[in-house]
Amino acid sequence: MSTTRIAIAAALAAAIAAPAVTQAQGNVEKCYGIAKAGKNDCQTDHSSCAGTSKKDGQTDAWLAVPKGACEKIVGGKLTSS
Amino acid sequence: MPLALRDLQAEMAAYLVSGADADILGSIVGDTIPAAARLRIHRHQLYESLATALAGTFSTVQQLVGDPFFRSIARAFIAQALPAQPVLSEYGEGFPAFVDTYELARGLPYLADVARLDWALNLAFNSPIGRRLTAADLSSIPGEQLPSMKVGLAPGTRVIHSTYPLDRIWSASQPNASTAMVDLGGGDAWLLVFRRPDDAGFIVLTEAEAVFVTALAAGASLEDAALAAFAANARFDLSVTFSRLLDLRVFVALQQ
Amino acid sequence: MTPVAGIGLRAAHLAAVVRDRPATAFLEIHAENYLTPSPAFDTVERLRADYAFSVHAVGLSLGSTDGLEDTHLRRVASLVDRLQPTLVSDHLAWSISRGRYLNDLLPLPYTEEAIDVVVRNVDRLQETLGRRVAVENPSCYFSFAHATLSEPAFLSEVVRRSGCGLLLDANNLFVTTQNLKLDPRVWLDGLPVDAVMEYHLAGHAVNDADGEPILIDDHASRVSAPVWSLFGELVERFGPRPTLIEWDADIPPLEILLDEAATADRRVAEREAGAARAA
Repeated sequence: MSTTRIAIAAALAAAIAAPAVTQAQGNVEKCYGIAKAGKNDCQTDHSSCAGTSKKDGQTDAWLAVPKGACEKIVGGKLTSS
Repeated sequence: MPLALRDLQAEMAAYLVSGADADILGSIVGDTIPAAARLRIHRHQLYESLATALAGTFSTVQQLVGDPFFRSIARAFIAQALPAQPVLSEYGEGFPAFVDTYELARGLPYLADVARLDWALNLAFNSPIGRRLTAADLSSIPGEQLPSMKVGLAPGTRVIHSTYPLDRIWSASQPNASTAMVDLGGGDAWLLVFRRPDDAGFIVLTEAEAVFVTALAAGASLEDAALAAFAANARFDLSVTFSRLLDLRVFVALQQ
Repeated sequence: MTPVAGIGLRAAHLAAVVRDRPATAFLEIHAENYLTPSPAFDTVERLRADYAFSVHAVGLSLGSTDGLEDTHLRRVASLVDRLQPTLVSDHLAWSISRGRYLNDLLPLPYTEEAIDVVVRNVDRLQETLGRRVAVENPSCYFSFAHATLSEPAFLSEVVRRSGCGLLLDANNLFVTTQNLKLDPRVWLDGLPVDAVMEYHLAGHAVNDADGEPILIDDHASRVSAPVWSLFGELVERFGPRPTLIEWDADIPPLEILLDEAATADRRVAEREAGAARAA
């Protein structure tokens, strides 16, 4: 076995022998809980389609501007071009 | 002569998507409420319910741009890419690429990468947990055999690379995030997305770690993947990385 | 009296139901939310040990001339096989045309041609599942000029030819009959009594359509007084059946749904007591 291969084997064996030591570095973001599971519930309810607006929703599209957490993202390049 | 049902359904579908004047209006009893106003209920339902489903999948994008702007992107997407089947957790694969080309979002060049992260989380969430590889499973394997082993990534596990600090953008968009600014020039991010028993999550990888995982995903042995990672960065710590990945249960269990 | 009322299990309540295990006659899920092996599916599969389930599909598109979509049908069949629910249902509506899914329950023109389509699709569904399914009356916002049958006549014929059951949604019935200026009591005349397998109850909104009121089936509030009254009429005519409280938007705490379900049970008990006194 080459020196490199021996070193790799030793590193892998160490990882298997001491699995808990690195746990603190796992730092998993919890970001997609089961409350996100109901996407097909919106078919049976017509709550968002009130029918009160004389205009179709699409006509409003051009009036909307990004307004949210993006206001906290600054600097860097401003366009993708 | 009334339309055949097949043609009526095709015409109504076309009308609901486009809203353009169509013969279909003549098939509907209007009386005191005109046919167009009645059909508008279904037209709104089509766009708004699908936009709501997309907002569930692409919730980070929605947080970043706000609901009104999100819905304007979503409606434009829906108009040109209706679902091909009814399971809405599987709808929106083309959305990140659409965001990338959406003219009104040009000032937010990172938005498509955020959408890719949301989609990867959605895929992971809808992947089976199955049996995962643990350190204990490997403890009986002689050390000298480990380098030539191949370990497969569990379903839904994938690496997302962005030229923007995607993890920090994600954190800033969470409901209880601080008001601290994120510098868009903060450098590349490599994220590993995966399914967990009760949810889906991600961790931040170094570039060398991302090279390691990507090589394993492509079928490389542990040794070849490690060599690729060392080539990316000589300070790559194989032991720490492999231990961490085993801890996170991102590999599938070995075949019995 | 045995409780008959259950609640629609929504993702927002999954954790609370797992934690509190509230008493309820059954839980109903939308099939399309549980066709992937997600943590939510794992949770529902665990809950199955403690609850009776009803699988309510929203996307089979029983009224599509395209026929049932093979993959989707197979996935729903696999879910039904895994959960072994008490009831399986979908709507008298269509949502797929030429391979595009419109995510809405669109109305059919009630014609002989449409009966053939629905019966063919219901036959295939029942054959694939190896069980009787219930078909739900939809909320209608308009009717078609060339319709030759009333909605109840259409449903009765579908039942007669396919052997399927009926899911009578009291709120949908109220919404439809108000919007189309029909009498709900007349609507109920002539429906096959033995076919009724389940009732649905939900809230609706009153909206303005170009100056005229129109009722919208929004599942976003408590059951309204006239719908409770109509529910009493259903129980009178067809007897007590599994009864579902549905709530899909502005979802309140679980307790509110359970409270609505308790009201449904109370209404059934009152009817039965009244019937016993009369006898």
